[in-house]
Parts: sequence; C-alpha cells; structure tokens
Amino acid sequence: MFPTPIAKTSRTWQLTYQGLLPFALIMWLLPLIAVALFSIKPAVDFTQANYWGLPSAFAGFENYGKVFLESQMPRYLLNSLLITIPTVIGAVALSAMTGFALGIYRFRGNLLIFFLFVAGNFVPFQILMVPVRDLTRDLGLYNTKTGLVLFHVAFQTGFCTLFMRNFIRALPYELIEAARVEGVAEWRIFWYVVLPLMKPAIAALAVLIFTFIWNDYFWAVVLTQGAESQPVTAGITSFNAQYRAAYHLMSAGSIVAALPPVAMFFLMQKHFIAGLTLGAVK
Amino acid sequence: MSPIVQGLITIIVGVGGCVGYFFLSNLVLDKVIFPPRGDDAGRNINRANMVRPWLFLFPALFALGLYLVYPVIGSFVRSLYNRSGDEFIGFGNYTTMFAEEGFQTAFFNNFLWVIFVPAASTFLGLLVAQLTDRLSWGNIAKSLIFMPMAISFVGASLIWKFVYANDPDVGIINAIRFALGATQPLDVLQLSFWNNFFLMVILVWIQTGFAMVILSAALRGIPEETVEAAIIDGANPFQVFFKIKVPQIMGTIVVVWTTITILVLKVFDIVYAMTGGNFDTEILPSYMMDYMFRDDGRATAVAFVIMIIVLPVMIWNIQNARKEMR
Repeated sequence: MFPTPIAKTSRTWQLTYQGLLPFALIMWLLPLIAVALFSIKPAVDFTQANYWGLPSAFAGFENYGKVFLESQMPRYLLNSLLITIPTVIGAVALSAMTGFALGIYRFRGNLLIFFLFVAGNFVPFQILMVPVRDLTRDLGLYNTKTGLVLFHVAFQTGFCTLFMRNFIRALPYELIEAARVEGVAEWRIFWYVVLPLMKPAIAALAVLIFTFIWNDYFWAVVLTQGAESQPVTAGITSFNAQYRAAYHLMSAGSIVAALPPVAMFFLMQKHFIAGLTLGAVK
Repeated sequence: MSPIVQGLITIIVGVGGCVGYFFLSNLVLDKVIFPPRGDDAGRNINRANMVRPWLFLFPALFALGLYLVYPVIGSFVRSLYNRSGDEFIGFGNYTTMFAEEGFQTAFFNNFLWVIFVPAASTFLGLLVAQLTDRLSWGNIAKSLIFMPMAISFVGASLIWKFVYANDPDVGIINAIRFALGATQPLDVLQLSFWNNFFLMVILVWIQTGFAMVILSAALRGIPEETVEAAIIDGANPFQVFFKIKVPQIMGTIVVVWTTITILVLKVFDIVYAMTGGNFDTEILPSYMMDYMFRDDGRATAVAFVIMIIVLPVMIWNIQNARKEMR
C-alpha cells in the first residue's frame, strides 16, 4: 500500500494527525453545533447571558413545540413537500423519456437537441426571471404551488436529461437490439428493458432534485408570496424576522427547515453521491 | 387535509398523464398513422421509427421552449425597453447601468467571488479528499464535511448569522475576539471590502463538500502503480501528491472548478439574506434583485450581463461534451 498508511508512520506524527483532524472537523461543524445547542436552551438562558454554557434545562420540546404549534412552520413544510414531490416525479418522468430518445435513437438533430439541453443547464436563471414571472401571472398561476412546480419541472429537465442520456448511453446497447430482433414494440423496450436498468440513475436523480428543489429560494421569492403557497426556505426568513432576538426559537426554526434535506442526504447518501459524481464527471 | 389530497391528485394526474401520453402516442403512431401492414409496410415501419424519437422528446422540448428559450429572448427584448416597458430605448439601460457606481461595485465584488470561491472550495475539497483517503473513519468525516451541502443557502446564511452576530455572547467570531482580549464588539459584516470574504466563506463552507466528493472519487481512480513507482524513485509525499496525483486528476479538478464558477454567478441568496447588499457587498445577482420589483428593464439588463459572463464557460462545456462524443 502506497503511500505509507498513516498507521505505520512515527508515533508523534500519528497523534498530531489524529488529534488535528477531529479538531478541524469540529471547527467545520461549529456553526451547526452552535445552532443545535441554542435550539434546546430555554429562553431564560439568553436573558441571563448563559449563551455558550450548557443549557440550564432541556427545553427542546418546548422550543420545537412552539415552532410546530404556534407558527406557520407546519404550513410552510407542507407547502415544500407539495412543491418538491410532484417536481421530482415530473422531472424524472420527463427526463427518462427524453434521455431514452437521445440515448438510443440516432436521428438528425439528435446532437443539436442534446446541446440545447446542455446549454439549458448552464443558463443563469436570473435571465428567466422577468418573463417567467409575467408568464406565470398571465397563466393565472402566480402565487400558487402549481406555478412553481411547472416551472421547476421545466427548468430541471435540462440537467436531468443530460444525466439520463449519459446513463442510458452507458447501458449495453445489445440488450435493446436483442429486444428489437425479438419484435418487441419500442414502448415495451422502454418500459420493460431500459426503465428497470435505470433504477440506480432514477434514485440518484430523485435524491438530487429533491434537495435542489427543497432548497430553492430564488423562485420561491419570485413566484410566490405569503404562507399559503411559500415553501419553507422563504418561510424561515419571515419566521426569523418575526422572532428576531428570540435566539432559541430562531435556532429551532432553522434546524426544522434544514432537517428534511439533511435527513434525506444521510438516508440516501449513496445515491446522493452517485448522483453528484455522475452529473459532474460526465 | 385537503391540500394533501390536492397534491396527491396532482401527482396521480401528472404521472398518469406522462404514462398515458407515452403509451397512447406510441400506439397511435404504430397502429393508426403508419401501420406495418398493407402495401408499404416496410416503409411505414421506417417512417414510424423516424417520428418516434420526437414523441419522447416533445413534452420536454415544449417545456424547455416555454420556460427557457422564450424567456431568454424575452428578457433581452425587455432589457431594451424603459422602466414601464412602453418605450424602446436601445441600450439605454446598459449605458446608465455601466456608469453607475452600484453596478461597478457589484461587478468588482462578483469578480472577487468568481476568483475566490471556486479556488478555495476546490483546494479545501482536494485537501480533505487526500487527508481522509485512507483513514478508517474517513467516510464518517466525509459525510460530516459534506453535510452543509444539503442545507439550503438561506438556511446556511441564517446559521452563519450566529457566527457573525455583533453580540459577543452570541457571535462566535466576537466571542473568540473577546476571549483574546478585545473589548469592543465588531460587526464583521460592516467591515468594508473584507465583509465580502466573510460572505464568501459561507459558500465555500457549502461547496467544499461537493468538491471533496468528486475529487475523492477521482483520487480513488488513480492507478496505484504510478504512485508506487514514484515512491520507489524516492519521491516524498508532497512530490507524490503534486507531481503524480494532481496531474492525473487535472481534468476532474477543472470540471469541479467550472461547475462551482457557474454556481457562484447564480448565488444571490447569501448576500440577500445576510446583508441585503448593504455595506458594499452587492454582487450582480443581488443587485438584480434590488431592481426586480421596481425596474424590469434594468433587472433584465443585469441578467443579460450575467448571461454574457457565463457564455464562454457554457460554450467551453459544450465543446468538451462534443469532444467526448467522438
């Protein structure tokens, strides 16, 4: 094994290395640790200037209870779910089809359309803002979840198609040819041959898109306003404005808002990383 | 519970619509328009196969056209009109904007962001990838470092507000300064010029995880023999890293770098949530947000400037994709 494994180097070096790394790690996560600590402190601790010490009492239930029962937070969370899940399904379904078409068929314009999707992937979304806002308003979808979902699906399709096409290209083409020779209809090839093979790509993409959409703030601000349709990213800013200086509630709110994508990441870590790697390297 | 039911119905209709479209359109093509029967069965099969890809492509192309191609053109046209959109003023928005100090500040700051954030994220990512490569608990360390990536930019900004808070009892920075003997709290976000870097740190914090994941996959892919040969030839660890490993993953480093660069040009959340663009921290995307509800002409002009900055990277990426295809 090269380079020399850390276990075989000198004792002091080993100790410093093993000591420094966790220290660096704690520094890296210090902002998160601080917020987590703040969120379980009772309000008294802040008036008595006990900011960094241990909580005088565990007030986690109280603080989180307040966030869930006395604020608009559950509403925002539900909105986020209702925006994110349909978007994930729509974007994955659309891109599975387009990826199939671009990956399997050779036809005139194939490359051109593929590059259109690549380009769409890189377009800065600011440039879309004014027309999309006006379009959404004209369609009567301003300040609705449907408006946000429609736009997200359309915008994410660029990236997803790129991803799916590259994945489908890497599948053994002989399988499809064999199916064709057997006289299987094209839509059956898609449904019964290609789609099952795409499961890992679909899982990776779904996890990735879930975090992208959940974390979107820009379009939430541009296309919606108010608690009836805004997702949690926009909600948390108004929540924090409402509880300015109530540090324990602000922290608890921030944790609640950040938790779903983080939980998703830890549960689906393998898919998440596979997705990022596939999307970036190819 | 009605919104949940509503959502479920939307999902069912959406998925049903997709499957239905896909199934029915293929059926119609095969059975009705070009049936593989009769005199020219062979020609019909060929024709059907020429049309079929477009059936798969149509929904996505339609969506892309409506929400991407049309807005890009629409934005450019809109940027040539005045504030209320009823008078054509050519490049008037651009000339007034370029002359304005706020725009120049935003442009300069954005330049700093584009230099600093990708460089720092890639460097730290590479460092972490290398240091945790052969560690027994390396995967846990990686997960933890990667965690900020899952948090939204707004969420991260709110968390970092605690770090930068003016109150020495809350703000970590000021707490450390007081521990070291300072007596006056310092609002680091008002510290002209340097405050930009304090904001950039947040994005670096988020993006390092991304760089690390990609680069550590690349490091794993390096053939062991090259490293072995270098060590037998007497190379020290630094030489191995910089002269053997880095050159071999240069392609991946460039990909990571450009991906983060493009991302930097889009991020407005951090500045918007932290300072609102005050204290000379404006960058182009947040500068645009300032005009969003007041002056669409100006806002679209800013957007177009961002688009032009991204364009070379975009073209370069497409060329790369093309090369790979050959």
